[in-house]
Amino acid sequence: MFNSFSQAQSTMVNEAVEAPVEVKRHASIHREQTDTVGEITVANPRMTCRNVDVFYSGSQAIYNVSLDIGKNEVVSMIGPSGCGKSTFLRCLNRMNDTIDGCMVTGAIKIDGQDIYKKSMDVVPLRAQVGMVFQKPNPFPKSLYENVAYGPRIHGIADNKEHLDHIVETSLKRAGLWEEAKDRMDQPGTGLSGGQQQRLCIARAIAVEPEVILMDEPCSALDPIATARIEELIDELRENYTIAIVTHSMQQAARVSQRTAYFHLGKLIEVGETEQIFSQPKHKLTEDYITGRFG
Amino acid sequence: MNEMTSGHTVSAYNDELKHINQLVEQLGELGRDQLRRAVLSLREGDTKAAGQVIDRDRDLNDLDVQADEAVIHLIAKRQPMGKDLRDILTVQKVVSELERVGDEARKVANLTIHFYDQDKNPPNGQMLLDIYKMADFVDCMLHKSLEAFKQLDLKKSLDVIKEDDNLYEEYRAALRRLSTYVMEDSRNVGCMVDVTLTLRALERIGGHAKNIAGHVIYLVTARDVRHESLATIRAEVLAADPN
Repeated sequence: MFNSFSQAQSTMVNEAVEAPVEVKRHASIHREQTDTVGEITVANPRMTCRNVDVFYSGSQAIYNVSLDIGKNEVVSMIGPSGCGKSTFLRCLNRMNDTIDGCMVTGAIKIDGQDIYKKSMDVVPLRAQVGMVFQKPNPFPKSLYENVAYGPRIHGIADNKEHLDHIVETSLKRAGLWEEAKDRMDQPGTGLSGGQQQRLCIARAIAVEPEVILMDEPCSALDPIATARIEELIDELRENYTIAIVTHSMQQAARVSQRTAYFHLGKLIEVGETEQIFSQPKHKLTEDYITGRFG
Repeated sequence: MNEMTSGHTVSAYNDELKHINQLVEQLGELGRDQLRRAVLSLREGDTKAAGQVIDRDRDLNDLDVQADEAVIHLIAKRQPMGKDLRDILTVQKVVSELERVGDEARKVANLTIHFYDQDKNPPNGQMLLDIYKMADFVDCMLHKSLEAFKQLDLKKSLDVIKEDDNLYEEYRAALRRLSTYVMEDSRNVGCMVDVTLTLRALERIGGHAKNIAGHVIYLVTARDVRHESLATIRAEVLAADPN
């Protein structure tokens, strides 16, 4: 939890206050050829990633990953610790820009627009591609302010009534309205863990994103709160595209339509979730999902 | 321990999978033994041995329940995925097939008691010859299907599925032969009905062996071939194992 509002603000939701960092690019990077098993493309892509490499201070963390994320679908990314799934997720809204020495190459596009082009402003990008973290991180402010903050700084609300409407709609979509409507002026940090995470989802929704990235959103929650978030993910799919990193294979199997398996920085296999969990094609995927390593 | 049951990070998981696979082996041995003893009791007119076969069917039922419980516990505890999931689903189906093999063997034993009960005249021995022949045939099929399960052998599975067609031909031929006894002497009709039912029981055991072979193909290839033609199954097996 954050000690102060300013600390939370600096870490929070789309890290909206940061200045965009120019990402270094190398045209002549040695590219190891990786052969992802399965279909990386979809008919209606919201985001397309091609030949993505990520380096941390010179050492390569992601090798030549290509993957489409379709509209109104939930894509889950699974794999052992350190396999690069979170790193890849963070590339999708340029969160890796905040890490010194991080370099991303390849092409990542949202609705056909390269998110790493020089003219791209990361502030609206991170509103367009929202993020929910492992540990719920509400501001030490009221429930209302937690949700209203994003629309206000992005200039989404026309007036107070409009802002109220956005807050209510976002909380309803996040399944928190009934629990929150009578305590809107109470601090967000006073909620339970599951409620806090739903508040963070409401906060991400409030700025009208197209894509929501979730980095192990339920790993700090109890099974009931996890079930509510999973139900919510399924409902959110109607309006948003969701990419989720999870360590729980059962969760990936339950919430996602497609699953991508990462191993040592490579995208080993991607496919329909049912196929990945019942008859994976690659031995590494099979070994991972059956608990033979990882 | 085959590749299906080994290699997990949690070694207790290996042990649990090994345990349910061992239950299948036990059931398979018991099922085959029941069949052999039931047919022997018929050949020798031994009603006491037939009674033992009928009593021993309970052991098969107990193992069936035990295996089902082990499968349920394993699913609840480990949430198996991929080939582990296929393995335990296959185990459950194979166990069910073997339990039915036991039921069919019991029917053969019942026939012994029916035929050789003190009050009745024993049947014409010639009419029973096809029962012995078919019993040997289905025992071989059952043996081969269990070997296929144990060794995850697609070729053996395919052989068993092919043999089921031959078994059906044998069955039809046996029925034709039986009908000639009725033509000779209509008093044979009661015996013919009993023998027909026994041949049918043996034909079903062959069917269970075929089903087990189909389950093995699903286990190895993840393709459900139960309702496919022999040509399609052969193509699946060849695609999975060109050798």
